[in-house]
Amino acid sequence: MTVTAAPPAPRTTSIADRIAAVPRPRPRLSTIVSYATIAVIGVLGFASFLGLDYSLKSIETTGINLARFIGMATPMQWPGWEVTAVVGEGGAKIFTTSWVGLDPILHMVEIILITLALVVTGTAIAAVLSIPVAYGAARNTSPHPLVLALCRGLGVVARAVPEPAIVVFLAFLWFGAGILPAIVAVGLHSVGMISKMFADAIEQTDEGPRTAIRSTGGTRPQQFWSGIFPQVLPAWVAVVLHRADINLRGTVILGYVGVMGIGAELNGALHAGPAGMRRVIPIVIIIILLCVVFEIVSSSLRAKLLNVRPTGKGVGDTVVRNVLRAKDARVAATSAERVEAAIRRPWDRGRVGSAVWVWVTVAIVGASFVYLQPDVTRIVSDWRFDQVHNAELGRSVWPLNFGSRDWDTVLAAVLVTVQVAFAATLMGALLSLVVGPMSARNVAPNSAVRNFFRGLALFIRAIPDLVVAILFIIATGFGPQAAALALGIGGVGLLAKLIGDSMEEVPNGPERALAATGGTRMQVFFASTVPMSMPSTVGHLMYLLEQNIRSATVLGIVGGGGIGFLLLNALNGRNFDQVGAFVVVIIGMVVVVETAGILIRRTLR
Amino acid sequence: MTHSDTPAVRITDLGKTYPGTKSPALSGVSLDVHRGQIVVLLGLSGSGKSTLLRHINGLETPTTGRVETLGRDVAQQRGRELRALRGHIGFIFQQFEIVGPLTVLENVLTGALSSLRGPRVGIWTYPKELRRKALEHLDRVGILERAYQRADTLSGGQQQRVAIARALMQDPEILLADEPVASLDPESSSQVMALIREIAAERSLTVVCSLHQVDLALGWGDRIVGLRGGEVVLDTPTDGLTKDQVMEIYGRVATTTGELAAIEQELAGVRDALLSEELRKESGQYSDVDTSDVDASGGERR
Repeated sequence: MTVTAAPPAPRTTSIADRIAAVPRPRPRLSTIVSYATIAVIGVLGFASFLGLDYSLKSIETTGINLARFIGMATPMQWPGWEVTAVVGEGGAKIFTTSWVGLDPILHMVEIILITLALVVTGTAIAAVLSIPVAYGAARNTSPHPLVLALCRGLGVVARAVPEPAIVVFLAFLWFGAGILPAIVAVGLHSVGMISKMFADAIEQTDEGPRTAIRSTGGTRPQQFWSGIFPQVLPAWVAVVLHRADINLRGTVILGYVGVMGIGAELNGALHAGPAGMRRVIPIVIIIILLCVVFEIVSSSLRAKLLNVRPTGKGVGDTVVRNVLRAKDARVAATSAERVEAAIRRPWDRGRVGSAVWVWVTVAIVGASFVYLQPDVTRIVSDWRFDQVHNAELGRSVWPLNFGSRDWDTVLAAVLVTVQVAFAATLMGALLSLVVGPMSARNVAPNSAVRNFFRGLALFIRAIPDLVVAILFIIATGFGPQAAALALGIGGVGLLAKLIGDSMEEVPNGPERALAATGGTRMQVFFASTVPMSMPSTVGHLMYLLEQNIRSATVLGIVGGGGIGFLLLNALNGRNFDQVGAFVVVIIGMVVVVETAGILIRRTLR
Repeated sequence: MTHSDTPAVRITDLGKTYPGTKSPALSGVSLDVHRGQIVVLLGLSGSGKSTLLRHINGLETPTTGRVETLGRDVAQQRGRELRALRGHIGFIFQQFEIVGPLTVLENVLTGALSSLRGPRVGIWTYPKELRRKALEHLDRVGILERAYQRADTLSGGQQQRVAIARALMQDPEILLADEPVASLDPESSSQVMALIREIAAERSLTVVCSLHQVDLALGWGDRIVGLRGGEVVLDTPTDGLTKDQVMEIYGRVATTTGELAAIEQELAGVRDALLSEELRKESGQYSDVDTSDVDASGGERR
């Protein structure tokens, strides 16, 4: 083997000249995009803060409003008790709390069951519908580029259209259909998120098994169901459970447009005078507890699904296998006998476990449908199309218009929503920059610190930020400012966990090398951990921004101002031409942010 | 589609250039494989073995030339016809490519999909006759007792046996194997190669198998076809052929420095793999061996 050495460099120039002549390549696009994204979110977030006007005067007013709210909301009236007020001497009210029996408690239990059943049925519908959408939206399974574009577009629109808009429109079309519009709305809206994450999971599967089935002569559907679906099943279940969590929080908002459940209960209490206000805080506490319990249940189920891979090496399995083997050894002399003995699948622990899970799930979903008894026949009959078609009735969808509002007003409303989202993102990011790294095992100084910050992020995530935002908005009397604050704090739960996870996933060889040179903890963190986790951190930041844009829109409906408020007015008036126009604006807003997110993530890869 | 006079595979002047690449992956390959013949494709990585195999069942389409399998022009087959043709050709992959989360039995059953209509989820969606057949194949490859375990809990050698059983499920006339033992340890390798050979004999299958180890190829196949840079450089029956002869022919065709470097690299890779395997096996006693070596050399020096 001949190795020709490179010709020795001419040594006529000095070392300084040669250093000056070293080529300096331009920074990589991904680096520029990372820093630009962070800078843009920082600047726009700061500008949004200024725009939202958190001045001293408004803080003062907040205090007054808060005190007034607390004065009205106390003493709290829990279900089962009744607080009566008697005006005593000097105009001071004297409150007496008395037990009124179990009925109100049973009523509250019924409300909670209705809410849970709505979440289960809606999510179940979305889980099924999202399979074909994801099949078309994943690059490796989609039959045609047009189908790909169509399915992705469907997903984006489904994510962007707020549930309340779907509910009100369907409730109008199927007049008197009870809870059916809410179930369908939750289902359709959830398809957006579930199909996107499911399609991502499909794109990440191993192509090998599928090629193998293709080369045995399997059709495309056979390749999908036998080669891909088994691989993505855990991811699918995890996404669906996660979505059920989000949907439970979303039902609170649905109460504002008249959907039965805990949200309607809260809305009713808020509009029932002083006696109602005393029920607000207990209801909010019940909602928060409900969400926390639901989150704990769903995340422990998720962890079980994603982490536990049955090895077949448990005690139960070993016993069963040995028994079977002993039986085999006795009877199985010929091949035919061995096969005959194996034709029935043994009820080992794994099979019993999965059968129980499947049937319990089917039972819960079935029971939810039975409990709500939606009038599904309405889906195929009694559409009041003429009502939304005939322009003379004043309910027509077409032509789209902003009603009495001009473009300036609408754009100002969009600006408020965007400001809320950016301010919330900045706030969440700043807090997460402390909480996130501190909850990473390789950054936190010791496990106590790590566990504390992990726990903090977990705690914040369990609290439903939409519900907290509603409470803030009611209590402070300020819309956008309170919404941004609530979303900002809520964002820590999501972003800090994601940052912590991606810092732990960084290859730790370089960290050890730097520590071995004698670098301090801080030096190692900034020289190795930060640059290596930068791309994923920027990706998570964009994800939070997308989330906040959607949340800020929905919060407008409960008093957070912005485009959501305009939408609520149009919904209340059943002016579907305006509803349509605002929905188009909202879709545009979401599409812009999501497209930016996709482009940024693509360059980071 | 059985006409015993036509060869199982007839490849005429096959050329393949992937879009976006300059040098062809295959060029001017002509090859007839007769029924019942066992052919080994020999060559280094990147020599075009896999590409050639994937043309035989239509996973790739030729840029020039023609591939006829079981008397049919593969490139002309579409949809149902192509799937039916693939149904007659078993394919065994280097990475096994079985579906990890499914049970072993369901993986074997997927081999019968081309004879069924519509997608199937779960063992019970396959007819009982097929289940019985799948269990018989599992018994043949020696892992019947694992039938209801998840496939990804099996060892590499066992997973490749599952893949063989899946291919048998197709009742294939031709068996294609793409480096079937490259991901296995030496012991499982020889077992799996022996199994394929036995099954081929039992069912008088036509086999085209790609390998990169000359030793394995010699004792195993009826005929060796050597590939280099996408061209056939060697095509000979193995009767009476010795390893030295093959190495000589092989060495003569591999003369450029690039090729030598590639061979060298491959050898270094194999050495590394062997070394780490040994280290892993003897990790318990390794330190003892080490010190005794040092002692011995120290003694000599004294």
